Amino acid sequence: MVSRAKIKELMNESACSHNKDKKKGEGCDMPKPGMAAGGCAFDGAQISLFPYADAVHLVHGPQTCLGASWETRETLSSYAGRNHTVMGFTTGITTNDVIFGGDKRLKDSIDYIVAKYAPEAIFVYSTCVTAMVGDDIDMTCKLGSQAHNIPIVPVHAPGFVGGKNLGSRLAGEAVLEHLIGTKEPEFTTPFDINLIGDYNVTGDMWEYLPIFEKIGIRVLSSLSGDGRVGDIRTAHRAKLNVIVCAKSLITLCRKMQENYNIPWVSVSFYGKRDTSFAIMEIVNALGDEALIQKAKEVIAEEEAKLEAKLLPYKKLFAGKKAVLNTGGNKAWSIASGLQDLGIEVVATSVRKSTAEDKEKAREYLGAEGILMMAPASEQSKIIDEKNADILLAGGRSLYTAIKKKISFIDVNQEKKVSYGGYNGLLNLAEDLKYAFANPVFANVSKKAPWEEE
Amino acid sequence: MENIPKIELSKHEHKPLQVNPIKLSQPMGAALAFMGIKNCMPLMHGSQGCASYAKVFYTRHFNEPIPLYNTSVGDITAILDGGDFSILMAIENITKKNTSLKPEIIGLCTTGLTETKGDDVRNVATHIEIPYCYVNTPDYEGGMESGWALTAKALIKQHTKETIELQANKLLLLPHVSIQPIEVEKIKEFCESFGFESYALPDLSTSLDGYLSQNQGKLGTGAIGIEEIRELGTCATVVSIGHSMQIAAKALLEKNPNILHLHFDHLMGQQNNDNFVSVLMKIRQIQPKSFIKRWRGRLQDAMLDSHFLIGSSHFVITGEPDMCVGMCELLQSVGGTIDAVIATTYSTVLERISAQNVFVGDLEDAQIYFENTDLVISNYHAERLLHMQERDTGLILRGFPNYEELGNQLKNDQLYEGSTYFLFEVANKLREVKYHGKHN
Ligand code: SF4
Repeated sequence: MVSRAKIKELMNESACSHNKDKKKGEGCDMPKPGMAAGGCAFDGAQISLFPYADAVHLVHGPQTCLGASWETRETLSSYAGRNHTVMGFTTGITTNDVIFGGDKRLKDSIDYIVAKYAPEAIFVYSTCVTAMVGDDIDMTCKLGSQAHNIPIVPVHAPGFVGGKNLGSRLAGEAVLEHLIGTKEPEFTTPFDINLIGDYNVTGDMWEYLPIFEKIGIRVLSSLSGDGRVGDIRTAHRAKLNVIVCAKSLITLCRKMQENYNIPWVSVSFYGKRDTSFAIMEIVNALGDEALIQKAKEVIAEEEAKLEAKLLPYKKLFAGKKAVLNTGGNKAWSIASGLQDLGIEVVATSVRKSTAEDKEKAREYLGAEGILMMAPASEQSKIIDEKNADILLAGGRSLYTAIKKKISFIDVNQEKKVSYGGYNGLLNLAEDLKYAFANPVFANVSKKAPWEEE
Repeated sequence: MENIPKIELSKHEHKPLQVNPIKLSQPMGAALAFMGIKNCMPLMHGSQGCASYAKVFYTRHFNEPIPLYNTSVGDITAILDGGDFSILMAIENITKKNTSLKPEIIGLCTTGLTETKGDDVRNVATHIEIPYCYVNTPDYEGGMESGWALTAKALIKQHTKETIELQANKLLLLPHVSIQPIEVEKIKEFCESFGFESYALPDLSTSLDGYLSQNQGKLGTGAIGIEEIRELGTCATVVSIGHSMQIAAKALLEKNPNILHLHFDHLMGQQNNDNFVSVLMKIRQIQPKSFIKRWRGRLQDAMLDSHFLIGSSHFVITGEPDMCVGMCELLQSVGGTIDAVIATTYSTVLERISAQNVFVGDLEDAQIYFENTDLVISNYHAERLLHMQERDTGLILRGFPNYEELGNQLKNDQLYEGSTYFLFEVANKLREVKYHGKHN
């Protein structure tokens, strides 16, 4: 069951920066009728765990929860076996299960999956209806686990408990309770880390993992980008937890510090500066002089290589100005990437940012930069005043770009290439190059023959 | 194909779960229907996740901003509130926050959660001034097609005025959920060419149709508004297209028993369109316009041109029942062999399909048929499955979702005209896989 105490604890998480400027008792994710947008807790939980390709992810609920969401994420996996992340499994409960309970159906589904797909583990997600009806998912999972001798992990994050962040934390709890510490690694090294919160969207991780390898950092386990359930079970033997752009999993890391004495650092891999900084944070935390030396060499080498490749772009982008309107950490991480390419970021949106994200945005944009609180109404004016050349925003802002006859990139669109690590910057540069050259926004802004000039 | 275990057509599921599902939920169909109403605020009564998924889903399918709101039922309200409170608060909060939002109707659909806790959503109307329409769409029953149809029915039932008067040339179309925006427009224009003043409910022809405009994604921009819905009782003729839409037609007949109800399971292929044209001719007592005659000729030409390829080929179709029926009959009319129809949900119309295998299932069930056929008509999810298999099977993308292609809202398979394009598309794809495929 979802325990009320646990949810309260997670919502008031002290290590979470969302809560800094909130009053007592008022945590994250408290929905006001009509005002909650974005995914539910179940969505967040799925995002956090779904990349485990060797496990089957079974959604215990009616059709909405999985029907519209499977095979929609570009979380890539190198798993050689059957990749379950591109598949969808749901009990798809019907009226009968709502009246009489869905435990039997869940048990039968687990048996079916084990017999037909033989996964390394099964995650069973509760959802609004099955939580409300009171199915005993814990018991069904426990019995299934004993019968089939694989971990069957109940994940209690039904949508009505809150938004994505909370769901992601609840997923962390499930992993901590049921998986971490249940297996020993084959061997360990002094430089073993766990990667927490990178889901390898469009292969983001693969942009920086080769650099880790060069330096000698080993990824013992991942939660959960390109991850394996077998590895996360050994996570308690790592020397360091590395959180990648995922504040929601700080709770997990704090608990792992308490239980297993594993320290943690929080980093991001967007743009050159962040990537280099992230690597140094990790090696410094691992604290080995030779490793730190090696990291410095590798960074110098990579940066030099990158700079050479960026040169033609920088020439192309000289003097260009951008306005950025996107949420969360993208507000500064993409800004950082743009600056690395020599583009001046004149404004960024901090509408939904945490205090920490705001600070970072200010730091990156400098005193001159505008932090927009109401970007929808501000951005047009700023584009005019600052003579911006490009708007990077969500699809809804497309019309602003057309009206202002400037270039546009939809930053919220499902991207097919990674902007992460050093090389991701080249992908961003390519996209920008084409966006600047494209006349489409100016063309579609032209009046029709029957319209007044 | 003999050794494939046969799955019977039944209302009951043949296994405890779905693997790689194609079924979509009732509230999703309802939300889409409300987007087809002018200045409607589609509002899902449930926790935030359902609306968020639906929004992302349609945004990707149509490549348009999607107007969809939710009542954000949370932990506390889930237990204490009987429905009214969170709905009223949601409407107040949303309109307060966005004062430029001037909905002319609020379209509320329930979800599994709010149905399970037994919310009574009927009385909201007594507390607000904006017209309000509710529809009960638990997602553990029915599917997208029924959710859409129930919404059309609810709009008529709750808002159309009773009357006994008729306006001789006024016609209402009730298109099933798989009919895309451009198709609604084409069918309306088709009827107008016979001198009808035509309406559609829902009417997506001006919503999600890819038209560039400024205030996108805030409210439904369908071509029919609440005022027109109120006056639908004076339609002399109502045409339901798709079995699912008959319930909406019946609801209208209850408002005015004098209305003539015409029903078509689909408008694909020569036979059904001939029937459609002949009744329209009879009612209006006129000859069809020459463009219609020409399109019939082109369709016949397409049937002859494509009959060899299609007539020697095998097909598997997956999707909403009303869509599957039309495609089956069109392909069979030029000799195509339908190996299997795998439908999202049960509908009696499926009983009428004469194919070797017709059942309700998922893409796990479909896989074995995919591996033994020439061409598959299915949604986006079939793409990867076909990619992984040994045999070179062609794919025509139809139904929801299609994240693979752009311009879904402008795909036209209806009437003589659309059927013509459809046959050519199928034949061209067959030629590609059978004669130029990876194993040739
Ligand atoms: S809000 Fe509840 S019912 Fe809706 S998708 Fe999330 S878990 Fe499923």
